[in-house]
Amino acid sequence: MTVAAGPAPDARVTPLTQCLLLAGKDLRLERRTGEALLVTAPFGAVALLLVPLSVGVDTPLLRQLGPAMYWLVVLLFGVLVTLRTSAVDSAAQLAMLRLAGVSARVRLAGRALGNGLLLLGFELLLAPVAVLLYNPDLTGWAWQVPVFVLVAAGLAVLGALADALAAGLAGRTTLGPLLVAPVAVPLLLGATGVLTAARYGRPPWPWLVLVLTVDLVAALLAAWCARYLEELT
Amino acid sequence: MTGSDVTTAGGTAGDRAVFGRRLPLVTGAAIAAGLFAALLSPPDAVQGELVRLMYVHVPTAWVAYLSYAVTLVTSIGWLWRRSPGLDRLAAASAEVGVFFTGLTIVLGSVWGRPTWGVWWTWDARLVTTALLFFIYLGYLALRRAVPEPALRARRSAVFGVVAFAQVPLVHFSVLWWRTLHQPPTVLRPGDPTIDHTMLATLVLSVVAFTLLYALLVRARARLAEAQDALETADLVRPGAVAGAAVTAPQKEGSCG
Repeated sequence: MTVAAGPAPDARVTPLTQCLLLAGKDLRLERRTGEALLVTAPFGAVALLLVPLSVGVDTPLLRQLGPAMYWLVVLLFGVLVTLRTSAVDSAAQLAMLRLAGVSARVRLAGRALGNGLLLLGFELLLAPVAVLLYNPDLTGWAWQVPVFVLVAAGLAVLGALADALAAGLAGRTTLGPLLVAPVAVPLLLGATGVLTAARYGRPPWPWLVLVLTVDLVAALLAAWCARYLEELT
Repeated sequence: MTGSDVTTAGGTAGDRAVFGRRLPLVTGAAIAAGLFAALLSPPDAVQGELVRLMYVHVPTAWVAYLSYAVTLVTSIGWLWRRSPGLDRLAAASAEVGVFFTGLTIVLGSVWGRPTWGVWWTWDARLVTTALLFFIYLGYLALRRAVPEPALRARRSAVFGVVAFAQVPLVHFSVLWWRTLHQPPTVLRPGDPTIDHTMLATLVLSVVAFTLLYALLVRARARLAEAQDALETADLVRPGAVAGAAVTAPQKEGSCG
């Protein structure tokens, strides 16, 4: 039997497709291990539960503190999501990706996209817990929709950068948060600022612009330094 | 420094190799002049004698900014040229920067207690400066965590560039947020709002602290260079072969 000769299929895969495939790979690994959503998210919920015990059961005060505590937990525990063990690429995986022509920039973008989706899930899992425990004033809650996305995106990129910088080090999971948390503070300020502004009837745009600026600066820095990080592994 | 260093009235030969000859003298003279000018300058109309702390607090903050700018430039330089000297300079500058950032916070706190009534307040300038301190502590922790010199240089160079994004945030925090900390009085468009006698004293102090910064960074970079040379020498020195301590069995009476 002969095979009909035809035009060879186009084997090129665009960088966007590569990025999506890599993010999908990270999400599949997360589905198997459940490290971010089944371990870190409950740990974050425990932190939200413990705060009132240390502050004292002052319901009006906790109602006021609730949103700030929520975003603090998202920032600190979100870094752990980006530094999860299932996001560590072995030398063989990296060699295979390099041979397949996947650039360092695409690999970093894929990791950041996977991180971002997981962080969004992490935020959405913890939000009802915070609402239930703290009963905060939800005036202007619709403004939180873009905040969820922008904070997840910024933290995802910064986390991917820190993950690459601390790759292979013994203290990766302790060093990574030290590298990310202070740099990510504008995200915390922006997220809580949007809520406060909405509650007092002020336009929250400046805070959204702040978070967006951090996202863009982080993305530009990540795109610039990706080729230098390539030589690390 | 080794035990063979010759001690002289002005210090040891090892000290001179690290600190140099002329720069310590010039720095000492500049610091003495700055101190003299700070003591002679008039008291402030509002703050009184407390204003003299400004002649140390502002220069330490300036040196901290300068340190991180030098770390940024040398980090970019390392990524471009891959020169080990640039990596040593970046690390030395960051170390000195962390020291001066800590000193800025402590001196600001000492000034804040009698002026604001508190050692610490949630002011944007204070908080962003504390964050800057922790970011560069992270930089130093990253350097300590990577034993291999080339990998250490590359990782810290990338983070040295990323970390600098915080510096403009610290500087402009007094303009972007309503703060207790005063807005810029010297580094601002137009004529500085500070009294010109005080300004001259402040400029002298800034020059003295900048020279101190140069002295410390040069000394630290030289020490790092010596340490690198020592490690390289240890690597190339022939060591005992494994099993050299075990001798072949000899027949009794044949040794000697």
